Amino acid sequence: MPVLAIDTSAAVSVALVSETGGRLAARSSGERRRHAESLAPLITQVLDDAGTDRTALTAVVAGTGPAPFTGLRVGLVTARTLALAVGIPVLGVPSLDGLAAQAVSDLGLDPDDEVLVASDARRKEVYWARYRVVAHEGPHGVPVVRTVAGPEVGRAAAVAEAQPGAVAGPATGVAGARAVVVGEGAALYPDVLPLDDDAPLLPDATVLARLALARRDAGLALPTEPLYLRRPDVQEPAPPKSPALG
Amino acid sequence: MTSSGEPLVLGIESSCDETGVALVRGNDLLFDAVASSMEEHARFGGIIPEVASRAHLEAMVPTIERALDEAGVTLSDVDAVAVTAGPGLVGPLTIGTSAAKALSIGLGKPLYGVNHVIGHACVDQLSGGEFPDRVMALVVSGGHSSLLLVDDIATDVTELGSTLDDAAGEAFDKVGRLLGLPYPGGPHVDRLAREGDPTAIRFPRGLTAPKDQERHAYNFSFSGLKTAVARWVEARTDAGKDIPVEDVCASFAEAVADVLTAKTIAACRRHDVDTLVIGGGFSANSQLREMAAKRCAEAGITLRIPPIRHCTDNGAMIAALGSAVVRAGVAPSGLDIPVDSSMPLETITV
Ligand SMILES: Nc1ncnc2c1ncn2[C@@H]1O[C@H](COP(=O)(O)OP(=O)(O)O)[C@@H](O)[C@H]1O
Ligand SMILES: [Mg+2]
Repeated sequence: MPVLAIDTSAAVSVALVSETGGRLAARSSGERRRHAESLAPLITQVLDDAGTDRTALTAVVAGTGPAPFTGLRVGLVTARTLALAVGIPVLGVPSLDGLAAQAVSDLGLDPDDEVLVASDARRKEVYWARYRVVAHEGPHGVPVVRTVAGPEVGRAAAVAEAQPGAVAGPATGVAGARAVVVGEGAALYPDVLPLDDDAPLLPDATVLARLALARRDAGLALPTEPLYLRRPDVQEPAPPKSPALG
Repeated sequence: MTSSGEPLVLGIESSCDETGVALVRGNDLLFDAVASSMEEHARFGGIIPEVASRAHLEAMVPTIERALDEAGVTLSDVDAVAVTAGPGLVGPLTIGTSAAKALSIGLGKPLYGVNHVIGHACVDQLSGGEFPDRVMALVVSGGHSSLLLVDDIATDVTELGSTLDDAAGEAFDKVGRLLGLPYPGGPHVDRLAREGDPTAIRFPRGLTAPKDQERHAYNFSFSGLKTAVARWVEARTDAGKDIPVEDVCASFAEAVADVLTAKTIAACRRHDVDTLVIGGGFSANSQLREMAAKRCAEAGITLRIPPIRHCTDNGAMIAALGSAVVRAGVAPSGLDIPVDSSMPLETITV
């Protein structure tokens, strides 16, 4: 009884995960501009890889960003519509939460450690959020993290500036706790956001699936509203050139 | 003429600001659901693609559900999924194609990416029945003004000409704007034109000079006309005189209708076609309708115009074209099809 998870917040990541959190199949593409072309074929490949029929799916999980708009929407509309077609629930998880959980596993973080996650927001900005580790491993084998700031969008330097202590090194508050920086957004601005050596860079759909299952089982609501964080660029038009009718 | 044995096609349209979903079996429309973000754009005086894309994402699933509900069918009854793959705005098109691909995967049914402009012509089959062997199609809207020779709506369409600059509806909207009318100006210009004298001012007819007969016999150009209207209004204002708005609108509308119908009828004669279909949102225009009816009657051409609710963007046109291509046995599209904002008008399916 597997769930299908999709993340299009940066590249494209698709995974098929069992109800207990085990990875059955996963594929990704480095595609940053044409998410809509690569996503659907990756979904059918992942189902084929695992020999799973679409009718066996129990839920569809989608990363809700924050992320560049067009790619993000590809994942969300695909997840919502696929769930409708199969007749199963659709569950949303912020993509940055996935990176934070990955960091806990990959970097061996402990409770009270802090993770600053930054992803590429283009236009010389990053999407970011800061998390505190609650448990190294919770239900479905996924770490438990709590958001303490963000998600927001801003210049890397301003983001670093706005954090309560140093972004990397000893964490503020709890003695012995450490702070780390992860995500592709940090890799782009290493002078202000010092990326940890083994830090995950991109969200992994497998981790998003596990987070979704854990949160669903905990009775949390998992909306699939996109985290745009920016308003559309629009300009009010200039008044008509000809004052014909005033 | 029963369609009960025909495949049930779900069509999705999202090339501009309308999210449309419809169900068609054969040439029978079961239901056509449309959600529009037009009101959100009106204050900007034009469509903002990002605003439209956000609205499409939110409207997609509810609009699919409403179409199914009203049609009294379920997704398991659907035999094929058709979607606009272009031309149109990339962001909005991406929402519709992604949704259609997801339906195709989730239902295990074939996907057909189709051409929006050809859909504007094909939708007439839902009200007027199957096209005869050869028809001429004039598709006129806010984004398009094209003349298509249709030998087979599912497999063989030839573009005879298109506008080189503004579309007819766009020209109306621009004239509306320079006259200070609300957006979109088209319907307002139409209304005022009905009260004016179409012969009051002689505005130019684009691409009708003898020298244009060779390369541009079936192309249109409306930007010179729009500029001529602006100049006329400006000169009049500078001279301190009132603007006879009704006469300006009537004379402008007359020029547009004259060029559109003259070139279209010439094309019908040249290609020996006796049925003309006019589609697209601008086919609501009364001056065009009147002149086309009169000139078609004179030329012995049967004029077909779909009901107005099928002329603006909707899912029915895409489901209708999907139904035609499925019935013609055209191969389905791959799940990797891109959207094409400037899809050629001879490409019916991708
Ligand atoms: N009665 C009318 N007279 C003139 N123009 C009209 C009329 N009704 C609609 N229009 C114009 O048609 C266009 C809308 O058609 P539509 O098919 O929705 O266009 P598109 O989707 O290409 O923008 C607008 O430019 C509008 O002003
Ligand atoms: Mg249109």
